[in-house]
Order: sequence, then C-alpha cells, then structure tokens
Amino acid sequence: MLAPILTGVTAYLLRNRAAKLLLYVFQVLYAGFAFYVFMQVKQSGPIVWNAGGYTDGLALSLYADSISIFMVLMTAVFYIAFLVYATREDYFRPRFYFLFMTLQGLMMGLFLSSDLFNIFVFLEVSTVVVAILIMFNKEKQAIYDGMIYFFVNVIGTAFLLFGIGMLYRTFGLLDIRAIKESMSLLDSPQAVVLPYGMMMVTVSLKTAVTPLFSWLPKAHGTPSAPPVVSAVLSGLYIKSGVYMFIRFNDMFSPVIDMHVFFFWIGFFTSLIGFIMALGQKDIKLILAYHTVSQIGLIMMGINMASEIAFWGAVYHIFNHAIFKSTLFLTAGMIYEEYGTRNVYQIRGLFKRMPWVAVATTFAILGITGAPFFNGSISKYMIAHGTYDYGVTILLNIINLGTTMSFVKYATMLFGNNPKEGRAKSDFFALSASVVMGIASFFTGIFGEALTQFFFNYEVHVNVDEYIQKGMVYVLMIVAGVAFYHGIIKHGGLITRIGHAELTFNGIITAMAGYFIVVVVYLSLML
Amino acid sequence: MKPLDFITGEIVGILLFFIGLYGLMTKKTIVKTIMSMSIMESGIFLFYITINYTVGSVPPIGQAQEAAFVDPVPSALMITAIVIGIGVTAIGLTMFMHYKQKHGITHWSRNRNQTGSEH
Repeated sequence: MLAPILTGVTAYLLRNRAAKLLLYVFQVLYAGFAFYVFMQVKQSGPIVWNAGGYTDGLALSLYADSISIFMVLMTAVFYIAFLVYATREDYFRPRFYFLFMTLQGLMMGLFLSSDLFNIFVFLEVSTVVVAILIMFNKEKQAIYDGMIYFFVNVIGTAFLLFGIGMLYRTFGLLDIRAIKESMSLLDSPQAVVLPYGMMMVTVSLKTAVTPLFSWLPKAHGTPSAPPVVSAVLSGLYIKSGVYMFIRFNDMFSPVIDMHVFFFWIGFFTSLIGFIMALGQKDIKLILAYHTVSQIGLIMMGINMASEIAFWGAVYHIFNHAIFKSTLFLTAGMIYEEYGTRNVYQIRGLFKRMPWVAVATTFAILGITGAPFFNGSISKYMIAHGTYDYGVTILLNIINLGTTMSFVKYATMLFGNNPKEGRAKSDFFALSASVVMGIASFFTGIFGEALTQFFFNYEVHVNVDEYIQKGMVYVLMIVAGVAFYHGIIKHGGLITRIGHAELTFNGIITAMAGYFIVVVVYLSLML
Repeated sequence: MKPLDFITGEIVGILLFFIGLYGLMTKKTIVKTIMSMSIMESGIFLFYITINYTVGSVPPIGQAQEAAFVDPVPSALMITAIVIGIGVTAIGLTMFMHYKQKHGITHWSRNRNQTGSEH
C-alpha cells in the first residue's frame, strides 16, 4: 500500500537524473497518489504497512492515520508549487533538485514512519541534506549558518538516539504504537522520565521552542540560501518537528501529561519570536523569527487539552505552510529585484511589482488573521479551545505582536517607486507565488469545509463571534500602526533585543539546561 | 558487590555522553566540537550494545540452546548508527576544512554580525 512512498526515496535518486519535465510529471502524479491514499485513509481508517511480513509491533512499519497522511499530502502538493517557482532560477541544477527531492522523500519518511529508529535515521539524514541546501551558494555567512545548523541538530538527534536506547532498555520495543500500549503496564512512571526528557529535547529543538530556537533564524533566514529552500524549511520541514511532538506525546500519554508546561513554553516562544522579529530589518530574518512565533502559537493550540484547539493547531500548520511559503518566495523575488533586504529601503512594491505585491498582501492578511483569510479560521479554532479569560488575553497579545511586525513588513508595499516603470519578473516564479497567495484566501473562505474534509472534524464558525473577531482585528491593525510609528520606527531597545543571540556553545548549554528543566519538572509532577 | 562491578557498559556510556556534552558546552574550537560530538556518540553506541546483556549469553547463531541468546537488535541498530555517525563526522570535518581554508576561521564567533558578509 505505502511501499511506493518508501521506495520513493530511491526512486527520486534515479529519476532526478532525467529532465526537469519528468520531475514535474512525477511530482504531480505523486501528489495524486498521495491524494488517493489520503482518500483511502479517510474512508477506511489508518493503514499499516509492515516490512518483511512480521507481526505488527515488531516489524519496521509505516503507519498512516489522518494526521500523518494529511502532512504527506500537504508536502506533496506544496512541492509542485516550489518546483514551478524554481524552474528558471539559476541554482536549479541537477545537484540542487536531487537534494531537494531527497528532502521531500525524507520528510515523507518522517511523517509515515512508526519505528523510532527509522525516525532517527530520517532525521539525521535530512539534517545533512538541509545543511547542504543552506550552504548551496557557498557564501561565508551561509557556510557558517549551515555549520551551526548542522552541528546543533546532529547533537540534538544524538539525544533522541539515547532516549530511544533507554526506551528500548525498558520495553524491548521500537514501534511507537506498541510502546504506547505497553506504557500502561509500567510499574512506576519514573522509568520513562529520562527518555522522555531526552526525546523532548530533540523534538523541541526541531520545533524551535523558546530556549532552543537560536539556530532557526540562522538557518531559515541566511542571506544567500535560495528562497525555495527557505520556504521549504519554514513552511514544511519545521512542521515535521511539530508532528513528532504530537506523535511522541501521544506515545507517552498513558503516563506523562505535560500540557501545562508546553502550553507556557509555546506562549513564551510566540512572545519572544515576535519581539525578536520587531527588532530585525532584514526581510528574511523578520520572516524567520516570525516562524518561531507562529510555531509557538501552534504549540499552544496543541497543548490546550481541547479538541477544537488541537485541530485548529493542525489546521494552522497547514495555513502557516501556505502563507509563510508565499512570503519567503515573494521575499526572494523582492530582494532580487531591489538588491537589498533592508525593510526600510524597499518601497513602492505595488508600483514596481504589482503581482508580487498582491501575493504578499494576501499572505500578510492570512498570517495576521484578517477576516475571510485562512489564518483567522485556525486562530478562531485555537481561541475556542479555552473559556478562560486569561488565556484569551495571551492569544490576543500574540496576535497584536504578529500584526505589529507585519505592519512593519507591509510598509514595503507602499511609498514611491525608486525606479520608473515596472520590473519584469519570471513568469513561473510569479505564478507559483500568486497561486499560493490566493490559496490563503480560499482556504480561509472554505475553512469549515476543509477541516471537515481533511480531519473529519466539524467546525461551525459562529457569525456574531466572527464579526466580533473582525472588529478586534481592525483594532489590532490600528494599534499595530500606532505602535509602529510610536516605538518601532525609532529602534533603540527593541533593535538591541533583536540582535541578541546565543553562540554555538550557548545553544548547546541551553539544550542541556532545557533537558534538566524538563526532567526536574516531570519528577516533581509524578 | 565489588567496586569494579559498578563500571558497566551502560554507566560508562552515560558518562561518555555527558563528557561529550560538557565539551560541546564549553569548547569554542570547531575541531574540539567535532571531537566532543564523536565522544558523545561513542557513549551512545556503548550504551546500546550493553543494554540487556547478561553474562554468558551467546550470539543468536545456529541452533545451540545451552545458553540464553543475546538480543541482536541493539547491535544491528548500532551498525547503522555507527555508519551514520562516521558520515556525519566526515561531513562536519569537510565543512570545517572548507571554511577554514577559505576564511581562516577556526572558532565559533560570539556574534553573527562580526563574521557576517555585507551581502
């Protein structure tokens, strides 16, 4: 059933030597196949595929349930857009698309694998691939950032491997679902505290939550990495971390419940993410720090212990993939055209590159949660997960921060055109980003239907409440503009915060500290 | 229990892991980072191959039944992990060599902006 996806990894190796056309045909067919499997899962429940015909639980198995197959479908479809975008770019060479497609195969593996050791292997290999993609242009800064990314993540996965070893010592099993079943047979939950801590370090590193996000802006926002790479990393690859978080927490759920802890971690991640974003002036770095902030929001949604917020967060994963990819792709076109990435120097986008500006506008409206756009639906769902007044305020603070930094980002759109006339842009790149931008509008309008379709989860958006949210949104915009003119424009403290970052040793120390905090917190709880 | 019994593969593995971690936290030289990483990984390998090991057990080859079989799975996993580890170390060294030859930098710098190219 799912063998083609596993063999897909090797198939890519062979296929990619052929022409680009084959690549597109293959990708479209592949997305079609993913859709087919998706429909199958939707109709007949989770599919399990065991290698070598051993019994389930002992064999290396692939496992597709509604979340994982959804992630697979999302990846396959978005890759079409990325490939179209990159058609005419000069970095689109065989070596590049070989790595690029390999990364896709590895992500599929991550989403579908049910075996802990396989997950480790996929993670390790994808780290290597991503590091090479970041360094693709061989510039000084890119190599430095790539190296930090590489070492930090390799060390992170070493934690995972150690955690798996401890689990294996306790259970003698490697399959996620089998471990979950035997988890309830444990005498004392103390035995899984250490492996849980180890695995959470890796997962938190991959999702880039509060103390451990320092590598992310470096990797996603590095100046010379191709825009497609940044888009994949920020839109899709980071989601594999969130996905693993869901999976691992589900695995430990019989004994360990860390909702509250990770809810607050998510909140602080969001908070720090947008504060740092406010301090940046490089457009790619703004977007990269914003990914941190949105990931924090997703973590909050997942850990609210309510069903609607959970699915809202999953839907937000999808939405974030759409608008963040769009933003990175358009940012790539913008700085190629203007020759600078300084947000204060780019002006008059609507006059110079109207279509790019339209795509950017749609994506900005999506990410800030404007009414009718996709961000508003998922944020609405997340906000619905709680009736606690305090939590609602926290969510609104995050929204305000998002709006503030995107008001800053949106100043690029207006103003005078420094040069006369319109710029000519590449048709393929343009169409890919405009389609993505418009997608963020349509996934918003059809939000109810889509969540129903993708997750079998019914959402009813209450019109009155939605209008109320719309009003709040307008207020947010006003507040955002006011803040922008009052504080951010003048820099000062906020710029200094934005430039604070950890050294390599600092990141590792933060990792060790995070591990200790998780373990201590757990031992106190249990 | 003799004092030396305390030194099992698992304990040594865990110790090696944290020694490696300490090295990563404190050393600013990139080469030392790579070395610490290898130490950390060897700790993990040692941990794996000694878990659930009982003295006197035999490899699961043939039909001999006189002693308990060793669990072959961890060793099989470690072969894969060692290969990956070698690959990773090699890539890390390659990156470092390239970086040093081109830009002459051997330490993690304090600040991105000091090393940053004005691109």
